Parts: sequence; structure tokens; C-alpha cells
Amino acid sequence: MTDAQIVGVGMTDFGVHERPLPELFADAAFEAFDDAGVDGPDVDAFYFGNAMGGQTEDDTHLAPTLASHVGMAGVPCQRYEDACATSSNAFKHAVRAVEAGQHDVVLVGGVERCTPATGLETPAMTSVFATAAHRQYEQPTGLTFPGVFALLTKRHMHDHGTTEEDLAAVAVKNHRHGTMNPRAQFGKETTVEEVLEGPIVADPFHLMDCCPFSDGAAAAVVASEEVAAALSGTPVGVAGVGHATDVVPIADKAELTATQSARDAAAQAYAEAGITADDVDVVELHDCFTGAEVLAVEALGLVDDGEGGTAAAEGRTALGGEIPVNPSGGLKAKGHPIGATGVAQLVELTEQLRGEAGDRQVDDATHALAHNLGGDAATTVVSVLEVVA
Amino acid sequence: MSDDRLTHDEWAKAVRDGDLLGQQCDECGAVIGSPKAACVECGARALETVSLPTTGTVYTETTIGVAPAGFDGPYRVAVVDLGEARVLARLEGDAAIGDAVELAGVVETDDGDPAPLFS
Repeated sequence: MTDAQIVGVGMTDFGVHERPLPELFADAAFEAFDDAGVDGPDVDAFYFGNAMGGQTEDDTHLAPTLASHVGMAGVPCQRYEDACATSSNAFKHAVRAVEAGQHDVVLVGGVERCTPATGLETPAMTSVFATAAHRQYEQPTGLTFPGVFALLTKRHMHDHGTTEEDLAAVAVKNHRHGTMNPRAQFGKETTVEEVLEGPIVADPFHLMDCCPFSDGAAAAVVASEEVAAALSGTPVGVAGVGHATDVVPIADKAELTATQSARDAAAQAYAEAGITADDVDVVELHDCFTGAEVLAVEALGLVDDGEGGTAAAEGRTALGGEIPVNPSGGLKAKGHPIGATGVAQLVELTEQLRGEAGDRQVDDATHALAHNLGGDAATTVVSVLEVVA
Repeated sequence: MSDDRLTHDEWAKAVRDGDLLGQQCDECGAVIGSPKAACVECGARALETVSLPTTGTVYTETTIGVAPAGFDGPYRVAVVDLGEARVLARLEGDAAIGDAVELAGVVETDDGDPAPLFS
């Protein structure tokens, strides 16, 4: 066994990209290559995430296509699909392969285009997203993904008194963070009033409680500790990765507000890293909807159960607060190109641990955590990164 | 055993007739609201088809404003607590979390898949 390190990262701006997937992905991949100090022929394997290309762009078997496009033709390629947790699942397998000595240098990445400007209109894309719900026992109700998280969040509001204003405070915080991230899709602040005045997508979520449809790509080069030492990229250690699933469909889950897969994945990642939630300095988590961040900060142990609702409103999870959450702006403001999101979280955290995050830098961060959730809270991957001594 | 295992087709026919079918595990006793091939609690394949109560309470609910293609919003979706199991359903009326509801029929998609309707 060896330790895996991230030695290079890259991502496109998130937003609208009128370009084919290979061209979009190449921008992120080459940025990661250059950051690491490698080129295509140095890479031993490709771990790739794309959730919906077959449904949205009539494009499947993408991994070898992209490998060929960026100078890695011939390497073993694998493509992961795990709804919104797609590319963090790819990352997990890349890390395990490096740790096992199967490969020394691998490329991990994801790409997706979801904006109405470049693809399907909102009703059609809403349908594509909804295919991640149970085909027989969820989809026929007309349940959407905002609806899934609305169901979980409404129960949290009932149990703990979380208010729509509390939820809006998450959007306000993450939009403020997004103004400091030049790659974010939304670079402007918002207010609680503006969020609450928006149209209802799925009660209690107004439009601005929801992440946008996004196009974008993200990539990371992962290498063994021994090989990383010879590369020019500043390495960040992969301290632990946890990956768990929960029962599908949601009606059969034991506890709706627990997001149990996140709790299980976090426990694995903390144990592997030898840390607790108290040791985490900065977090990128899966705020596809404001309520999702409320549930996640509790599931990860960053706040006590029942305190997630007010964490953003009280400033606890803001930059400068006790545990900064989503300094990138999160999915909410940075954007959410499904298959790219998990790796984009790792891009942000790598830059945070290197001290390269500019205005949104969390000072003296040594441990960073990524939480990437897929489907009806059925899949969660939690990764802990650390500064290399 | 597989001959007796509750299928989606059987579940769909029953719910159209006003009977909500679920499963009970012969090994651990767990009751399952959405049919499976094995128990979600213990993995046992010995699942007996049971009739679930058609009355329950709203466990959580939402009003879908932006609907997928093929659906016309707004409409309500709820997780209904039937006691030993829960099911996802359409909800008509103004029942809130904790309120009593009963099976009132089904809604059908264009594909011919039913969803339970509670009110």
C-alpha cells in the first residue's frame, strides 16, 4: 500500500458552454496536467464521470473518446454513473487503484452539459434528472429532484423548526462566497427577501433555493506518494475516502432527515483519516438545494442534529465562521454540471490546502472535507484531504 | 419462492383496485412498502405479500411547482406513514404533516404506471 496524493487540478468556469464535451473536458484536463507537471503519455489510467450524456447528448462510451482527445489513447478507461455523486465515485476508485499499486499516475475527471442554452429545456431536463429516482415507485408520482429534497427538508422543518428564512440564509451565504470565485456561475449576492420572493420549484424551495443547470468540466491528477515527489505539482494528501449507500426508494428509508449514507460515508472517511469532524477546517458539500446543506452539516457532524437549520443564518458556516462550508459558492452559486461536481469540489479543496484560494482562502487549513451526494440521498462519497507535511 | 414474489405488475393491478400491497419478511418481520426481491433489513428472500393499511398519516409532503415533461404542476407528493411501512404517493387536499389521509385512487402516467393517490 502507498498513499495517494492529488498533484494537479483544473476546471472550467461553470455556466454555459457551447462546445462539445471532448473540447470542454480538455480544458480542465490540460489545466490539471500542467498543474501536476505531466502530459497524456505519463498517465496510466482514466477514471471518468458523466451521468447523463446518453440521455442529454446521445453520447455514450465517452471515457475512451475523451482519453483519445487529450493524448491518453490506449490507457484503461472506466466511466462512472452515480447521479450527482458520479465523479467522486470515479475519484474513490482512482485513489484505491493508486493505493494498491495498480497505477502510479491517473487522471480523474468529469464533464456534463445541463443548461437549457446548450441542451434540453427545463421540463425535459427535469425529467432526465428524475430518472435517478425509482422507476416504478417514485417516478410515477411526478416526483422531481427538488421534490426529493423538499420532502426531506419539510420533515426537518417539522422536527426542528427550521424556517424558509433559515434555508434562504444558505443561499445568501453561498452566493456571497461565489462572488469571490471567478469560476462560479452566479457571481452576485442575493438576499433572504429575494430568495423568498422567487417562484416555488418544490415547496419549500423557491427558485433561488436551487442550484442552477450548468455546463462544465473538472479534472484532477492523482499519483502515488513516491511518483508525486518527482512531479512539479504541489501535492495534497488523500487522507480518507468513505462511500456508502442508503435504501431506495426514500419511502423505505429508516430515517428521512438523517441522510444515512452521508453519515456512514463520513464515519468511514474520518476513521481512515484518523480525525474527527472537529479537525476539519474547510468543507465543500453537496448543496444542490439549500435544505440539502442543512441536512449535510448535521450528517457530517459539523453541527449537532437539529442545529443545521440555523447554522448559516448564525454565520457558523460562513467564511470566517467556526467551520466554513462551500467557500467556492457550492453547487448553489458555483454551479452543478452533474458529472463534474464531485471533482470540482476537490479542485476547490486542493487550492484551499495549498493556500491558493485568493479572497475566499480559509487561513491555515490543514484538513478539508468533500461531501458529494447522488440520487435520493442514496449515494454519498465523503473525501478527506490533508496538507502534506 | 420466486413464483410467489410480489411483482410490480401485481402491485400496480392491486393499487388500481384499491388494495395497497407490500411485503413482510418471514425471517426478521420487517414490512416493506415498495416491493423488493429480498428484505431491505436482513436480505432474506422469504417475503410474504401482505395488504398494507389504506389509511395513514402524512410523514412529509411537498408541492411540485416545476414538473417533469408529461406532468402538469402544481401537484402534491407525500410520503405516507402506514404504521409499519411508508409509501410515496400523490396527495390531494390540504393535509399537512401528521394529518390522517386515506387511499383515494391512483394517478396514471402516460406510460401506464400508477402511483397511489391519498387524500
